[in-house]
Amino acid sequence: MPNGPSVRDVRVLDRTELAPGVVLLGFYAPELVAVTRPGQFVMAIPPSGERAATALAIYEAQGERASLLFFICGARTRELAELRTGDTLSITGPLGNGFDVNGARNVAIVAGGVGIASVLLPAQMLIEQGARVRLFYGARSENFLVDRERFERAGCELCCATDDGSFGHAGFITELLAAAEDKPDLIIACGPSPMLRATAFVASELGVRAQLSLEETFACGVGGCWGCVVPLDRKSSQAPRFPAPANGGDFVYARVCKEGPVFWAHELRW
Amino acid sequence: MSRGSVDLSVTIGSLQLPYPTLMASGCYGSGEEFEPFVDLAQIGAVVLKSVTRAPRLGNPMPRLVATPAGMLNAIGLQNPGIDWYLEHEVAKFAKRPSAVIGSVAAFSVDDYAYVTERLAARDEIAAIELNISCPNVASEGETFACDPDLTAKVVRAVRGVTGKTLIVKLSPNVTDLAAIAASAEAAGADALAVINTLRGMSIDVNAWKPRLGNVTGGLSGPAIRPVAVLAVYEAARAVAIPIIGQGGIETISDALEFFLAGASAIAIGTANFTDPRIPVRIVDELRDYLTARGHSSLSEIVGKANVGFATPFQYEGGEG
Repeated sequence: MPNGPSVRDVRVLDRTELAPGVVLLGFYAPELVAVTRPGQFVMAIPPSGERAATALAIYEAQGERASLLFFICGARTRELAELRTGDTLSITGPLGNGFDVNGARNVAIVAGGVGIASVLLPAQMLIEQGARVRLFYGARSENFLVDRERFERAGCELCCATDDGSFGHAGFITELLAAAEDKPDLIIACGPSPMLRATAFVASELGVRAQLSLEETFACGVGGCWGCVVPLDRKSSQAPRFPAPANGGDFVYARVCKEGPVFWAHELRW
Repeated sequence: MSRGSVDLSVTIGSLQLPYPTLMASGCYGSGEEFEPFVDLAQIGAVVLKSVTRAPRLGNPMPRLVATPAGMLNAIGLQNPGIDWYLEHEVAKFAKRPSAVIGSVAAFSVDDYAYVTERLAARDEIAAIELNISCPNVASEGETFACDPDLTAKVVRAVRGVTGKTLIVKLSPNVTDLAAIAASAEAAGADALAVINTLRGMSIDVNAWKPRLGNVTGGLSGPAIRPVAVLAVYEAARAVAIPIIGQGGIETISDALEFFLAGASAIAIGTANFTDPRIPVRIVDELRDYLTARGHSSLSEIVGKANVGFATPFQYEGGEG
């Protein structure tokens, strides 16, 4: 059994449409499950059609089954969404660095929309460690707050917000986070960039460390092309591998696919 | 003809490669990024990301845009500079199971020579590719590849500082690629890499702004393949040195187009992002193809698409 990432063809076990355009695709991949850490992703390659890989978070990894939860937003995700039981797709992964949740006792998880796809595994791991886990989950409306029962069954406390007020707080999920009475010792988050930025701000105000899982357009997904960079603060980040160019300013570019996708909020330059 | 006896090796200058598949510069990091996914012993060579004299931050994000049948990139030669590179990176290439080719970019003839001399002096580097055709550095980088005289000048300067195999990477963004190819050969190039990316642009029609932080980028992938095949064909008619064909190669059929157009080897770039197994698959299928047709070596088919062109005036055009 390989002890690291690899590229493999996997068989689709099931496919569920959790909300309009939101698909959960389960597949048989025990080797992938065995080496996956919370917050990692795969490059998923449909069997035909437009020949390019799509980076997707690993949503579930249990036993012999892993799954991807994604929103149909283009030709490639549409092709993945049309796969049926028994079809095959290629998976390269697991890739990237995941969340560092060791030692956390009281964790706030912030998920926006399909950002929920990155946080089930860390939630499960934290609960297994005995941590208190609150899920702050925001979406545009109630039916896009997908699969929240699973988080409740796992032991998460749920705080929800919707843009249209159809469920929970009407407004931004970060407003609930800022208003929470019991201060967490760690915040982890995945979702749209404005939500992540707001989360970083709230975390800073609360004086709580936060890890953010970023989304960027990937080409290679393995660190070879340097296409998916984000600026990190040169002083506070762990990432600067390179010397500074003379005109380089006070930031360095790090690869989201390789050094990320999870970064400490205080390292990021917005 | 047995499958195992087909000779797929290729000679590029003094460089002997067991397979005719190079991994294109900028797409494959230093090679180690792909090691978990492909047996590097089964590929011909890795061409490293370009290195410059001074460190470069690279272009602002976003640097990538997906386009129909391809992608636009504008990385901007992000690299740590030659000093740091020699100190921290180069030693680890010694253990690579495939050949490692250094890539040099610069903005002056002197800097091309300086970086090449230092990089080529290292035993870990088997050959040098001169990147005189990067489209993502505010047009400075392409200047050398767009003028036969400048091409000759930089190639001569670099030829003077290293005896290692020198591959010159040409730009498709020119009027007369054959003239520039001939100029590079005359100045001492051992081989040509044909082609680099095409300049392109994509605009977000909702935001009314370019999608790339650099505004323009380099187009790669299957979208540019016909342009690349023609460029290889034109270069092959103009020079006697080997040509490394590149531009949207994903399948054995794509690869064969390049060999038949006159490429002695191929480089694979964007397709590695689709599936890292593609280079090894192409070699396997190339062996099958040659075996089935009774060929004992790849060299037997290189440039054979020329045979059909008995009436060159038809190709050259003429009125209309």
